Amino acid sequence: MTHFDRGASRRAFLKGTAAAGVAATLPLSSAFGASFPERNMQVYVPTREGGGADRNQRAFAGVWKKYLNTEFEAAFYPGAAGRVAYEKYMGLAKADCHELIFGNMGPEVLNWVVEPPTFDLNDFMYFARVDADPGIVFVKRDGPLQTIDDIVAEGKKRTLNVGVSRLAHPATLGMLALGRHTGAQFNPIPLSGGKNTRAGVETGEMDFGALPAGGIVNRPKNFKVVLMFTHKNPLPDLSDNAPTVNAKFGTSLPDLVAGARAYGIKKAAIEKYPDRYKILTESLLKVFDDPEYKEAIIRTKAPWELIGYGGPEECATYAKAMTDIGKDYKDLLTGKS
Amino acid sequence: MEFDPGLFIELFTRMFGFWWVILPAILLGLVVGAIPGFSAANTIIILLPLTLSMDPEIGLVFMVAIYASSRMGAGIPAILVNIPGTAGAAATPLDGYPMTKQGRSHQALAISFVSSVAGGLLTTIMALLAMPWLSQVAYYLHSVEMIVVMLFGISLIASIAARDTLKGLIAGFFGLMIGLIGADVVYATPRGTMGLLELYDGVPLIPALVGLFAISEAFVVIERRSILSDEGQRLMEEAGWAETWEGVKIACSKWWHIAWTSIIGLVIGVVPGAGASIASFVAYQQSRTYSKTPELYGTGHVEGLVAPESANNGVTSGTLIPLLVIGIPGGATAAIMLVVLQYHGVTVGPDLFNDKPQLAYAPFTAMAVTYFLMIFTILPLARYMSKVTVVSTTYMAPIIISFTLVGAFVSRDYMFDMYLALAFGVIGYVARKTGYHVAAILIGVILGPLLETYFLRALKMSQGDIMVLFSSRLGNVLWVGLFLSVGLSLYFEKRKKPGNADDG
Amino acid sequence: MADDTKSGGSEKKHIGADLVIPAVALIFALYYFSTILDSPWTAQVSAFFIGAVLITLIAVFVISGLLSVRRGEADLGLQRLTEPLSFMPTRAALFALTLSFIFFVEWGGFTITTFVFVGAAMLLLSRGRNWKFILALSAVLAIGGYFLFVYAFEVRFPKGPFELLMAQVL
Repeated sequence: MTHFDRGASRRAFLKGTAAAGVAATLPLSSAFGASFPERNMQVYVPTREGGGADRNQRAFAGVWKKYLNTEFEAAFYPGAAGRVAYEKYMGLAKADCHELIFGNMGPEVLNWVVEPPTFDLNDFMYFARVDADPGIVFVKRDGPLQTIDDIVAEGKKRTLNVGVSRLAHPATLGMLALGRHTGAQFNPIPLSGGKNTRAGVETGEMDFGALPAGGIVNRPKNFKVVLMFTHKNPLPDLSDNAPTVNAKFGTSLPDLVAGARAYGIKKAAIEKYPDRYKILTESLLKVFDDPEYKEAIIRTKAPWELIGYGGPEECATYAKAMTDIGKDYKDLLTGKS
Repeated sequence: MEFDPGLFIELFTRMFGFWWVILPAILLGLVVGAIPGFSAANTIIILLPLTLSMDPEIGLVFMVAIYASSRMGAGIPAILVNIPGTAGAAATPLDGYPMTKQGRSHQALAISFVSSVAGGLLTTIMALLAMPWLSQVAYYLHSVEMIVVMLFGISLIASIAARDTLKGLIAGFFGLMIGLIGADVVYATPRGTMGLLELYDGVPLIPALVGLFAISEAFVVIERRSILSDEGQRLMEEAGWAETWEGVKIACSKWWHIAWTSIIGLVIGVVPGAGASIASFVAYQQSRTYSKTPELYGTGHVEGLVAPESANNGVTSGTLIPLLVIGIPGGATAAIMLVVLQYHGVTVGPDLFNDKPQLAYAPFTAMAVTYFLMIFTILPLARYMSKVTVVSTTYMAPIIISFTLVGAFVSRDYMFDMYLALAFGVIGYVARKTGYHVAAILIGVILGPLLETYFLRALKMSQGDIMVLFSSRLGNVLWVGLFLSVGLSLYFEKRKKPGNADDG
Repeated sequence: MADDTKSGGSEKKHIGADLVIPAVALIFALYYFSTILDSPWTAQVSAFFIGAVLITLIAVFVISGLLSVRRGEADLGLQRLTEPLSFMPTRAALFALTLSFIFFVEWGGFTITTFVFVGAAMLLLSRGRNWKFILALSAVLAIGGYFLFVYAFEVRFPKGPFELLMAQVL
């Protein structure tokens, strides 16, 4: 444990409190003049505080604010698997480039496959992906199933319960595709979020789980990764060199990146303020090269290898791939077969 | 994770040295706990920039102190004005508020404080000593077992319905039906949402709580000058320190009750996803079942106040156990603590006890010290807090309405939630006026969706086989316990019925 | 909660008001069913079970009520909901004020709307007495509320003229 100098800590605490008090009284927007941004950036987050998106957004915005000379305020709307955040954003946010959304593209695009939103999807776009976290299959470190071969073999004898974050999720689709290909019986159980899914596998209620890699590889004592749903394993050391699905089973699944967190924006904002959009995109690129960002990511124990920029085209391609595979499994996702 | 007395003495001494963090955090926690809509979790989030700038150990102490004190704070308005500060205190007004109306608010507050502190302290120490074993609870209480635990809580509806069975059950099942609004947890099919996206995730608890308890109370209470009965008013005028002290003595005499109901809270708290509301309902229901005077519950009975307050403070220590031992937070506040710890590069989980034992045990020692300091901070305030009850309803009702509506808004930042609170206020008003118990409706709204979540999960896992409900040995033991508990409750009720007129 | 179904000195029970909650519950249950008819079983199973019990309970309650009406022991009067009658106008006005508070807070912001609501509601309940004290108290509460909720806890309430002004001043 870190032993602290109590006197110094108390001073730091009081200083911190005082600084926070003073900072709160400063009118931030007026301090930086009228150029963009004119006020704090507002970010709609479609998941809960403390989740993967929150962690990534906090780390990213913590550095991005340096280049934009403003503060970021995040508002969390985890309602209806993220639908509420998107509906709120499209309904309420001003199209002036100050208000963005930061979500996990895969599961959120799949929402629209299950049920279209009330707004026109053409009015919205993702413009900057900040990470690409592969969908994986994982088991409990000391559990009875230890490899993907164990899982498939056992799945041919009995139906295995697979803990997943939600049904409309790239990692779930990966499991369903694997089951279809191998003939193993997998029963995905949606547990509302990564935290509960890890709990389900850890406590043995689930036979194994399928999630993005980020929340699993940093818990090597608890879990072991046994399969990746991407073409390449970007984390060989952290994942016991887990095989990729296509290499192992000869499938031709698309890259099922389960955590592809990205900033999204109203297209109207870009059309109305192209100069502001340019400032946004140029400044955010600097974040990826900033050592402070790497430090912040590493501090959260998230693997730096998963961090990577993806532009608007890459985001659109990914969103389309997810939509297509989602349509293929629509019946299973909606329970209406 | 071996017991090392030297380490614990050092830790406790160290924690007392952080009194300058703990005391302001206690006061802050009491305030945010007392205002519906605010909670330890969202306060810690609001203060995140400050918490993250602190040393990890100080930040942790700060968060733990807010967490523990907010739990106690939530009981204060529940007792004084019939408005639970959080869903975890929803069972507190059942007996706390009748005590207030009788002019015994000093006593009620003192009983609540002592039960909370004693329950919290006891379970914190138990958690410290028995963490490795307690953490195993989560490995045994799966969906099937949790269904039965939820039913223990829901069976409280039947107890409440004891006075007017049909009305009580209608209120409870109406609440359960309202609780089913929202997307189902498996296929996310929206149900009963009236096309409102705001109801997709179900009925938000704070607006329901604000409406059913606070708004409806405000509309009813304007008929009288004071919330106190005439006798209550006389008692309040005479009340002084002696009543507070009396409350402490009464609470201390219920030490065994505090002990076992807080342990219910501790065990339920360990299960990720369960929480203070279920624990306090289960504790209340169990307390009533095994009481010699079940008919007095709901009339300002001491045990009816002791049970939920001890239990919801037991949950506080319980939720930290899975966080620290297996790295899985037991509740929302614990999840935020995890974010802060991760930010500082602290990985929670079994290794923490080997790598940084002081930091691993710090939350519990901090919590124990918080509870210890809290009793001295808060007990003297009971007398002054009680004065709220003598405020005329002319002033009280508008303040309750406006400030609790803010609370309804705060939990999700939706304007919609204020309208929803008002709608629940109307339902609550009609219910109160016509003898339907609002607590029965609220139990349904709170526990219904939790029960359904576990139920659907169990059914999905068994692929629709209903017999899954009886597939686990522990589950079956719990089923027997449930039937015994409900059966005994009905039996005692029946035996007591003739000739009980004492309404406390 | 008092459960005296008799009122006004009449011998008959007025059970009309007692039927309001069951009626609302029944309408809601039927509406709920209509939303899940085409849904997968997971969406239906709990609702059909709970709804069936609820409807059965309501049926028993209504039938026993109607039987007591038939026997002449009760009538369908709504008195229990409205008594004491003298408070109904005040209560209706307080309800209207509350609804206006929620409606106008979007434009007026927290502080001004709270001041107006608390002041008006207190004046209503005091029938205009102590108006100076009430206005002062409302101002203190609204400004205190502003500092507590908007300033300290940063509640994301819609901002009105007062909040915008304070943002410039502070």
